[in-house]
Amino acid sequence: MKERPTAQKPREGDQDSRREVAVALTGITKRFGEFAVVDDLNLEIWEGEFFSLLGPSGCGKTTTLRMIAGFENPTEGVISVAGEPVRGVPPYRRPVNTVFQSYAIFPHLNVFDNVAFGLRRARVPKDEIQRRVVEACEMVQLTGFEKRRSAQLSGGQQQRVALARALINRPKVLLLDEPLGALDLKLRKELQLELRNLQHEVGITFVYVTHDQEEALTMSDRIAVMNEGKVQQIADPSTLYELPKNHFVANFIGQINLFSGELESVDGGRVTLRSGEGIKIEALVRNGDTPEIGEQVQAAVRPEKIRFGETGENVCSVGVRQIVYLGVSTQYITEFADGTRLVLYQQNAHDSVGPEVGEQVNVSWDANHCLILGG
Amino acid sequence: MAAKAGGPMQKGVGKLPDRALFLFSLLIYAFLYAPILVLMFFSFNSSKSTQSWTGFSTEWYRALLTDQTIHDAFRTSMIVGVTATLIATAIGTLTALALTRHNFRGQTFADSTIYAATVMPEIVVGVSLLVFFVAVFLPLGVELGIVTIVIAHVAFTVSFVTIVVRARLAGMDESLEEAAQDLGAGPVTTFVRVTLPLILPGVMAGALLAFTLSFDDFVITFFVSGVGSSTLPLKIYSMIKFGVTPVINALSTVVLVVTMILIFGGSRLLSRREGA
Ligand SMILES: Nc1ncnc2c1ncn2[C@@H]1O[C@H](COP(=O)(O)OP(=O)(O)OP(=O)(O)O)[C@@H](O)[C@H]1O
Ligand SMILES: [Mg+2]
Repeated sequence: MKERPTAQKPREGDQDSRREVAVALTGITKRFGEFAVVDDLNLEIWEGEFFSLLGPSGCGKTTTLRMIAGFENPTEGVISVAGEPVRGVPPYRRPVNTVFQSYAIFPHLNVFDNVAFGLRRARVPKDEIQRRVVEACEMVQLTGFEKRRSAQLSGGQQQRVALARALINRPKVLLLDEPLGALDLKLRKELQLELRNLQHEVGITFVYVTHDQEEALTMSDRIAVMNEGKVQQIADPSTLYELPKNHFVANFIGQINLFSGELESVDGGRVTLRSGEGIKIEALVRNGDTPEIGEQVQAAVRPEKIRFGETGENVCSVGVRQIVYLGVSTQYITEFADGTRLVLYQQNAHDSVGPEVGEQVNVSWDANHCLILGG
Repeated sequence: MAAKAGGPMQKGVGKLPDRALFLFSLLIYAFLYAPILVLMFFSFNSSKSTQSWTGFSTEWYRALLTDQTIHDAFRTSMIVGVTATLIATAIGTLTALALTRHNFRGQTFADSTIYAATVMPEIVVGVSLLVFFVAVFLPLGVELGIVTIVIAHVAFTVSFVTIVVRARLAGMDESLEEAAQDLGAGPVTTFVRVTLPLILPGVMAGALLAFTLSFDDFVITFFVSGVGSSTLPLKIYSMIKFGVTPVINALSTVVLVVTMILIFGGSRLLSRREGA
């Protein structure tokens, strides 16, 4: 089930063709020695977009970002920023700025001089620097901290300095490498929203690197999921969640139940497979995929799409093994007769009583929520 | 609980050795500093004797001030020290940068030769430099003298500067330099605005160390100084040939105090935390 690269483009293509491309990566490969850290990467990031690179540790996200910033040269391929190829252009001449994972606040300069650093290099007049630094500090809520050194700032404040220092230069593209990675959960949630709002305000293209799928889903317009140097899927958050292209994406973004089996019938977008557990499952096929009868495939269904009872196209009987109360919802870990697991979530909206551990119950889900995954 | 029970036990065991260790350290310090204290003590003696105390006087220090040959030696030492320090610091800093910020063939080799240079026996360095100067410099018309002393001092202090600056560079976050570049600073601006200010304590400490080594050096200088020029250590040596006088005590005390101040300043700089 090999797809042509064009299949990666989301469906709302006619609207997107009007948007300018801020960053284009074409056939980018980066090797350190023999090892391809980034492998034939193709990306188009649109102007004004909040674009995330999401993937597990070591999949080449930072390397990709560093190639756009100019700190690494791609072994193969072309990178263009704002339509201009940037091969051989040093970092200090590229119209991009970076927020480093470690923030890299200059420890010998105070907040004001850190933020003013880029403008001074661009020989902006003194009074304009003064005005813009004050503005930038205001924007990231650092007013009053101008005289402090980085050692006297909290992690969240340092992050804001790094952000102001980059944004003040009004780059075409802002690159952010796990900027919230070092912060605690509560602050991270706050700053996620702040960052998102800020991006809307300034309208600058953000390329955001993270390994946190939740973060990527809440903040991004579009996400490229990467694994082992290869892009797995590029799509907006809901497409990524509802229509994952393959096993990796389905598993990396949220939780998923998988059934392997042989296709028994194909009827347009609708197929039936006989799973290893002996259950007949009706499922959907992604647009463009054309599986054939007899093919071995995987069907995937999200835990929250499964419910107790017999009200869907796919019904089966499972034994409840474990119940985990999660606050908003309850997680039921159940098992088929052969020991295969099936996880489902139930909202804790009503005071309905669910089954107990050890009970044998029927569960069901709609064919619409069950997707055949690509290879 | 288990950890707590172990605490006092360990403390009890540690008690006796603690006291023994204290006494031992006291002995070591006495061994190290007693001769120096004696020397300083007798530099304030009012009689010519360096064995029996007859009263306090600063006579020998005044004698220092009036002796023209000592003045000359001091001046030579200062000129050599300052010039050699400036050159060695510049070269050493650049070497350290090259070793940490660039990858090149033979880097490990270059690295280990730097360390090897610091433990090279001075006598070997002195003799080899003398042979080198005689073979190469004399034919070019450069006599042994202040020029060759400076060159020799640069040669043996440069590796110390490199090591000190290197340590500082290794502790520096490389992304700071990348951040500077990212914000539009070219290589030179990045060095002047970011790298240099951040490694400055290391550079200063390296410079102080270089000056101290140069100011103190006897063996190498002895070989390469020729007839005309004499540094303070050489002067002391030539004076001692006519017997130990309190003037030598006074002069040694001066050298010692200068050295101590520089070393103290250097270690203060080195222990200074980044950005503090
Ligand atoms: N300069 C280098 N030389 C050799 N290998 C490198 C170099 N830089 C990165 N790598 C390797 O490339 C791979 C990808 O690194 P990269 O930093 O891009 O990962 P990442 O996706 O950002 O991971 P993380 O989420 O942990 O930051 C890793 O296996 C890493 O060891
Ligand atoms: Mg990374």
